[in-house]
Amino acid sequence: MTNNTKKTVKFISRHLSLLPSQQQCNDINKMAIIFYSIVSLSALDVDVIPQYSGYAEWIRSHYKTSIVVGEDKFIIGGFTGSLNMAVPNVTTMSLPNTLFALLILLTIDDETILTDNKITNEIRRFVSRCQIKSHGGFVSTLDYHTSEPSPIDSHDLRFSYIAVAILYILGCRTVEDFDRFIDVNKLLDFISKRQCDIGAFGEDSEPHAGYTSCALSTLHLLKKVGALPKQFKDDTIEWLVMRQVSNLGCMSLQDELNESYDLADIGGFQGRENKFADTCYAFWCLNSLSILTNDNWRQLVKTELVEKYLAETTENKLVGGYQKNNESDPDLYHTCLGIAAMELIHGNFDGPLCIPAKVATKYNL
Amino acid sequence: MSQQECYQEFNEKDYEDVTPMSIETGLKDELCRIMYTDEYKQLMGWTRAMLSKNELTPRAIRLTSKLIDLAPAFYTIWNYRYNIFSHLLQDCPDKESWTAKELDWLDEITLNNPKNYQIWSYRQSLLTNLVPNPTMKRETPIMNMMIDDDSKNYHVWSYRKWVVKFTGDYSQELGFIDRLIQKDVYNNSAWSHRMFYLKNIEPDNVVINEEINYVKDKISSVPQNISSWNYLRGLYKLFKSNQYDSEIIEFITPFVNNLSIDQNNDQLPEIQSSYALELLAYIYSLTDQRELSTHYYKCLATKYDPIRSNYWNHKIELLSQ
Repeated sequence: MTNNTKKTVKFISRHLSLLPSQQQCNDINKMAIIFYSIVSLSALDVDVIPQYSGYAEWIRSHYKTSIVVGEDKFIIGGFTGSLNMAVPNVTTMSLPNTLFALLILLTIDDETILTDNKITNEIRRFVSRCQIKSHGGFVSTLDYHTSEPSPIDSHDLRFSYIAVAILYILGCRTVEDFDRFIDVNKLLDFISKRQCDIGAFGEDSEPHAGYTSCALSTLHLLKKVGALPKQFKDDTIEWLVMRQVSNLGCMSLQDELNESYDLADIGGFQGRENKFADTCYAFWCLNSLSILTNDNWRQLVKTELVEKYLAETTENKLVGGYQKNNESDPDLYHTCLGIAAMELIHGNFDGPLCIPAKVATKYNL
Repeated sequence: MSQQECYQEFNEKDYEDVTPMSIETGLKDELCRIMYTDEYKQLMGWTRAMLSKNELTPRAIRLTSKLIDLAPAFYTIWNYRYNIFSHLLQDCPDKESWTAKELDWLDEITLNNPKNYQIWSYRQSLLTNLVPNPTMKRETPIMNMMIDDDSKNYHVWSYRKWVVKFTGDYSQELGFIDRLIQKDVYNNSAWSHRMFYLKNIEPDNVVINEEINYVKDKISSVPQNISSWNYLRGLYKLFKSNQYDSEIIEFITPFVNNLSIDQNNDQLPEIQSSYALELLAYIYSLTDQRELSTHYYKCLATKYDPIRSNYWNHKIELLSQ
């Protein structure tokens, strides 16, 4: 382990111990913090199983159920982000926290949930309930009182991805499997409406690498990437390749004119046209490319320049971790996605599920 | 009466009769243990208790205001606030003024939490279900303030598109976009919004030709700008059946400075825009002038956009198939 990696491990581990009160606004995001940390550590080859499996029971204690009373009475279940959000008689579980918790448990080798039919059925019913019947997209939470889809939640592509990823982890493999719990055709329709004219995906016409990765990961898990029109696929590959920031040839003509162009960004990826590069978009763009091109993507972009950008520009040499860009402080989210991008390039990461490849392989995911 | 009560100053005394449902701290084998402040513990204790009973009262709204300040990402609290508000609003004779007041409160929260997306979906729910006569005019100031602060904020642009479609009021869009493009011609969100606008107004040929002239003008002043070139390509793709006539080719060609097929690598001239070259390569690939198209892709790979050399070479391979 290099000196920098040691610092990064230390940086990450700090987030799992005692946090100052300034972090209480992240109370709700605890499960996300643990997910980014454990996945990062595992990807860096820290032996997380002996170190963290003792916390499995505490993670599982975030699993909560609600009784839904309608034509027939049934139980739904999912995870909350923090025990403080769990309140009796109140539905507070969310799709993101459920995905995070399941992936954390797999990474620390705890199969208790996965092998419990009662619980997995409750979770599938929760996912099913988050789909909006009218358009096929998903909200991330249910109304705390009625357990109907939340009246104030958004329904962007992130939640479609998370819903499908949860069902996939719980065993769905074919469209028929997924169709038992969600309306796959409606969902595919919802996703295709978010295709942009010049390629890639976005909410309402501006393509965005994050949403593109969510859409493509969803289609990948549903085994439906092949159903995308060829022209759209080609346009999307081109759009993604164009996101690598360069100062060569004509690209340097923007210098001093374009306020979102920075020579420090060279080799990194931006999330949209004419934006600064950002560590996390290296992952979102490369994951999208890897889904669209199988293994050819390494021949389409300059991976050595991405690695250089991540290692030299956004990895923090003083305290460890990765920053959003050359100017910010390191944070856990960018640390996780910086590591994920590096490991994806080296073939050690399962992009669509966002876990180390070794974890996915172990559980046949 | 209850309207005013909802926006009064927060006062701890109002909750003295609530038995707090305390948060658990100091568990064994816990990760990310947070050193909560006493204020947070107290507020969460009350909120959990009232949420559990689903108390829909003005004091409950005041509590959500306080908690949203402390933890704006706590989705259940937004849901709780919405339920309280819609419940209380039912018996209110002047829904117009109360919903306006709620939007005022939301404006304040928005200015303090630019990246929180729950704000916008909460707003969307208010306009969809509770505001009696939603207008673009009421929404414009906060959206403009947010765009002034971060001209590429994706949530705000998405919300703007939603409001425009929801109210059917497209009248302010062109002026707004033009102002932003004048300020920063590289603003991709503004260009995307312009295309969104155009697609929704069902433009005739005159409008499309005006748009072509508009973007040509922007390209001429700043030729190496992917957003304006994408807009030009979008216009041709969506409104001109991807048919590039000689006039537009004549417009593009000067940006590649007489690049010709018989030049060697070391003779290649400086050009003004790789995007112009790329578009020409694309146009020639459509019109079966493969040799020229291949040459242009080769020039992109070797000189004008070499970071993508692998990709341009891949395009050449596809052309030869």
